Amino acid sequence: MIDIQDLTFTYKDEPAPALSGISLTVTDGAFLGIIGPAGAGKTTLIRAVSGVIPHHYTGDYYGSVRVNGLDTVDTPLTDLSRLVGMVFQDVDSQIISSVVEDELLYGLENFGVPREEIPSRLEFALDRVGIADLRDRTIASLSGGQRQKVAIASVIALRPRVLVLDEPTGELDPRSSRQIFSLLKALNREYGITVVVVEQKIMLLCEFADMLAVLDQGKIVRQGKTREVLARSDELEALGVNCPRVTLLTRLLSERLGKSLPVSVSLDEAEKLVRGLMQ
Amino acid sequence: MRDLFQYVPGTSLLHRLNPVTKLLLTVVICVAAFITDRLIFLLGLLALDLLIGFIAGVPKKTVNILKGLLRIALFLFILQALLTRKGTPVFWIVTDTGLLTAGKVVLRLMVVCMPLALVLAVTKINDLANALVQVLHVPYPYAFTITTAIRFIPQFLSEMDDIMEAQTARGVEFDAAKGFRKLGMILPLCAPLLISSVRRSEQTAVAAEVRGFHLRTAVSGYKQYPFQWIDLGAVLFCCALIAAAILL
Repeated sequence: MIDIQDLTFTYKDEPAPALSGISLTVTDGAFLGIIGPAGAGKTTLIRAVSGVIPHHYTGDYYGSVRVNGLDTVDTPLTDLSRLVGMVFQDVDSQIISSVVEDELLYGLENFGVPREEIPSRLEFALDRVGIADLRDRTIASLSGGQRQKVAIASVIALRPRVLVLDEPTGELDPRSSRQIFSLLKALNREYGITVVVVEQKIMLLCEFADMLAVLDQGKIVRQGKTREVLARSDELEALGVNCPRVTLLTRLLSERLGKSLPVSVSLDEAEKLVRGLMQ
Repeated sequence: MRDLFQYVPGTSLLHRLNPVTKLLLTVVICVAAFITDRLIFLLGLLALDLLIGFIAGVPKKTVNILKGLLRIALFLFILQALLTRKGTPVFWIVTDTGLLTAGKVVLRLMVVCMPLALVLAVTKINDLANALVQVLHVPYPYAFTITTAIRFIPQFLSEMDDIMEAQTARGVEFDAAKGFRKLGMILPLCAPLLISSVRRSEQTAVAAEVRGFHLRTAVSGYKQYPFQWIDLGAVLFCCALIAAAILL
């Protein structure tokens, strides 16, 4: 679905490239998590996938990004955005309307969704994100977390083939964060939507993503199945990326016991592992 | 000030009017205020503005707008009264013609400004833009520019607060200063505010584009804005108002 070949990008007037030599393939229906320390190029990578780079941010661009076979350089941003739904990091600047319902309607109207289909799409998005009660509220009266949910709902309503999210839970409490990730996973499973998400909450990411890509200083230092990437949790920590505590636990246990144990990414797995060791 | 352009939800007669009709009413009141030359008619129009505010169920806001306008009006009144040289002096250099002209000028100002603020109080800005595009076929980018500008006002104010708080935390004593001294402290904040707002509007442009900004046309709107009987009533009222302004 997404095919990035040897992408190097330097923002205009910046001395160093934000991304250098990125190659990454995301298959149709995958759930990819992107992690890395601050300034690693996560947001730049997300922008390149959604086509905002090179259409809005100019600079030196080498390599290619293809989404569903379309080269993002040659395809107009409007055409790309029919395919790729994007949730930005800065919540306030991406909200266009002054009322929640209008915000959700905006994209639906523009992309020419049939009139009779619009109500069900609206309700679907509002219900799944859990903001049905906010439908008639003004954006100005909402909290940061609520606004973030509105931004996510407005993109989900469009049912894009690919969902790209830049720290979608940055302003959310732990419970809402989990809810959003569960929703992303459900959309990923039920509708086969490819999800690419940058997230700092590593525990959530590891629990829900099938694939991880670790960025550092504009390069992908590790990519693969979540479990495989987490197997080298010591390397991740050296990069300044936290690992889930359960993963840390298995690593410390295997070091202490002197035998290799399978990596656990969720509490359930860790529990099973420990119970097995106790017997 | 903060909620000057904020929509107040409601189901009053004015809320239910077509957004275009509301704009027409606003324009008609302005036109009437400039056609007439009678002080009493201007007072009548001001009373109409207030009445509209009360019917719309936003009495507190109406009074607040009036209070704000009165301050500017007072300043203008004094200036105008002092500068007019025609007529017989009433006291010092102020003449009767001067007082009358000044009265008309400030009344016009108030009569013209109030309905604009009131329209925004009883109309969602999106409805206004959509109706303009659908009914009057205003090009969408223009409608978008206006709505975004109005929507940014509260955001700017809260950003200004953030910047001032940040400065206060680093020892700038905004709360202690008054008048021109305070103004002098606020002016340097314009640069960071400008930078952040340019950045923000760029982001908003991208956000609009990735949700099909360029595809939007006059038929894109999901909500429709049909004209109803109350709109006809309002239009008739507008005609009567213009006629009255010309005849009286």
